[in-house]
Amino acid sequence: MATTAAAPPQTRDTAAPRRPGATRRPVHRTFYLFLVPSLVLFTLAITLPAIMGVTLSFTDSVGFGEFDFVGLTNYVAMVSDPAILSSYGFTIGFALVTVLVVNLVAFLLAVLLTSKIRAKVALRAVFVLPMVISGIIIAYVFGFLFSNTLPRFGQAIGFEPLASSLLANEDLAWLTIVFVTAWQAIPSALLIYIAGILSIPGEVYEAASMDGASARRRLVSITLPLVAGYVVINLVIGFKNFLNAYDIIVGLTNGGPGTATRSVAMTIFSGFTGGDYAYQMANATIFFLIAVVLAGIQLRATRGRSGI
Amino acid sequence: MPSQPPLASRELTRRSFLRGLGVAGAGAALASCAPASAGSGATEIIFYQSKPEVIGYFDDLIEQFHQTQSRVRVRHDATSNLAGSFVRESPPDIGLLNYNFEVSRYVERGVLSDLSDIPAVERIRDDLQPLIDVTATYPGRTSVIPYSLMAAAVLYNREIFDQHGVQPPTTWQEFLALCETLAAAGVTPIYSTFRDPWTIAQGPFDYSVGGMVDTAEFFSRLKEAGVDVGLDHSVSFQEEFLEPVERMQTFLQYSNEDAASRGYGDGNLAFARGEAAMYLQGPWALTEIAKSNPDLDVGAFPLPMSDDPDDREVRVNIDLALWIPEASGKKEAAREFLSFLMQPEIIDAYNAAALGFGVTTDAAPVTNSTLAELREYYDRGAFYLGASQLVPQSIPLQNYTQSLATGAEPERVLRTLDADWARLAFRA
Repeated sequence: MATTAAAPPQTRDTAAPRRPGATRRPVHRTFYLFLVPSLVLFTLAITLPAIMGVTLSFTDSVGFGEFDFVGLTNYVAMVSDPAILSSYGFTIGFALVTVLVVNLVAFLLAVLLTSKIRAKVALRAVFVLPMVISGIIIAYVFGFLFSNTLPRFGQAIGFEPLASSLLANEDLAWLTIVFVTAWQAIPSALLIYIAGILSIPGEVYEAASMDGASARRRLVSITLPLVAGYVVINLVIGFKNFLNAYDIIVGLTNGGPGTATRSVAMTIFSGFTGGDYAYQMANATIFFLIAVVLAGIQLRATRGRSGI
Repeated sequence: MPSQPPLASRELTRRSFLRGLGVAGAGAALASCAPASAGSGATEIIFYQSKPEVIGYFDDLIEQFHQTQSRVRVRHDATSNLAGSFVRESPPDIGLLNYNFEVSRYVERGVLSDLSDIPAVERIRDDLQPLIDVTATYPGRTSVIPYSLMAAAVLYNREIFDQHGVQPPTTWQEFLALCETLAAAGVTPIYSTFRDPWTIAQGPFDYSVGGMVDTAEFFSRLKEAGVDVGLDHSVSFQEEFLEPVERMQTFLQYSNEDAASRGYGDGNLAFARGEAAMYLQGPWALTEIAKSNPDLDVGAFPLPMSDDPDDREVRVNIDLALWIPEASGKKEAAREFLSFLMQPEIIDAYNAAALGFGVTTDAAPVTNSTLAELREYYDRGAFYLGASQLVPQSIPLQNYTQSLATGAEPERVLRTLDADWARLAFRA
């Protein structure tokens, strides 16, 4: 695996208050022409459909045929809909827990895989493997393990909580989703952390060793602060990704048992298949606004930190 | 891939590769047009039919249709996204689909054309009309013509019943006693598959509700009530579904222990292997069961939910119904194909093959040994439409039935259902 090559920007530079070359020269027309293809594609494939979708959220459309404008009715109904509210509750809770688990494990693994151990390059490759498998396949494999293998194991050792399928337990099913999602998401966070740790200059550690800092002290006082920028990036990107959780949940529990693990994305998509187009468009609009706010936070958090 | 030998042998420069690609593309495009232009002056229509078990069957029927005439060519579409085709305003010319909440929106938004002047409509059984109307209607139109009906009940292993000297029950008490007897003898009475919510909704839930509530009448009252649904009003799920749901929870306790982690495929396999005496599934499962054990002797009986044997009814659903979209530019050709499909010998042969019941007054009776047990109910109109088919898909009813099956408190779930219905009515 490419580890050193992946290292993005330096974490800590003595950023000058003004960037060099701040005096603006007129940009040649040709450069703008290069923008046209992506601008056209983006407008056609994303902006226009989004505007159409938002418009439809004020109607009672099912996606085709006759429809009427109904004003804010969909939005009013939405705020009292337990199915939608609980999907937000589940999704946000799930995203928070998962992002913590992923970053904790990924960071510790990264420390381990950059320390002086044997076969670390091979180990890195092993740990990164889950990244290349599609989510739905991972979900089906783990679904089998959770419904068959694990209960049998639980019965064999006489451990009651494991003796029946975790997926069928309304209170615990979300844990399986956290576990499988984390299993899949840890590699990418791990790569970023490895890159971050490798970008720390060796001299700092040498100096610290000479001052008599213990390994733990070096981890807390040097490694952690110096990869702080990467932590923020991982937290924000991870959280945003987990909010869109879909494929793994569909494969594992399909929103069940009951409605215990229905994510927002699943609820929105059910509107298209279930003929509730306009209503879920309203839901999607709200979800989009939340994503915009998060993206704003992400931009603020990563700017300056990563020196962009 | 269409054969393009020069491409492989030629020196593969970028230009020649692109040129080859263009030739291949043009060839493919021409090839796909070929059937359309083959019969000179023939009209090509697209026939949408996606029930997986019978796709091959309809391919053969289309071939048969092509041999009888040369004016209309039919192209079979089994994979397109139907909702998407309506959104793009290029729907198929004729469809043959399960008639449920999914098709109901096409009916209600008026995108399906009126078929009332087609002679075959006269042959449809009158007692099916309420089933069609309660699902969806559009004023002044006959939007769909039923084609095949499925009757579902409790499937049972005749051999196991014989071994333990038990008969299909006729009352609720008998049913419970039967479960007790089987359980005491060490036989799993019922095989349940809670992992797939639809199997609970269409099986235990629909049978329990349908056995005690007149679903067509209940749902018409619900529709009239609009937002006024709940305990304070004249109609509510909480009031009328409570007892059936409680009884469902009672008999589901006689299920296999690992029901919570078993799915539809597991159920078919286990029942085929004789691991349980009863299986609450429709006739569609029979073909699946036969795949792993063709010799299994399966019977069927309607789930008795009251103390009066005369109350027993079977659950039906209109498994296939024909329709022609307004937006089709080839309605005449589509109607010609429709009339072909409605010919008595064609529709009878289909229903015999697919284990369906006939929907016309002149239909041949079912002959399948399992379904023959249900015939008398259908013939005298003792049937109901499954409640789960009448709740719009935007209410996650299947998931609710999953909660109920795994022990959720019925009052709470039904209260949610009432609130969901009222909210849907509010924004409808």
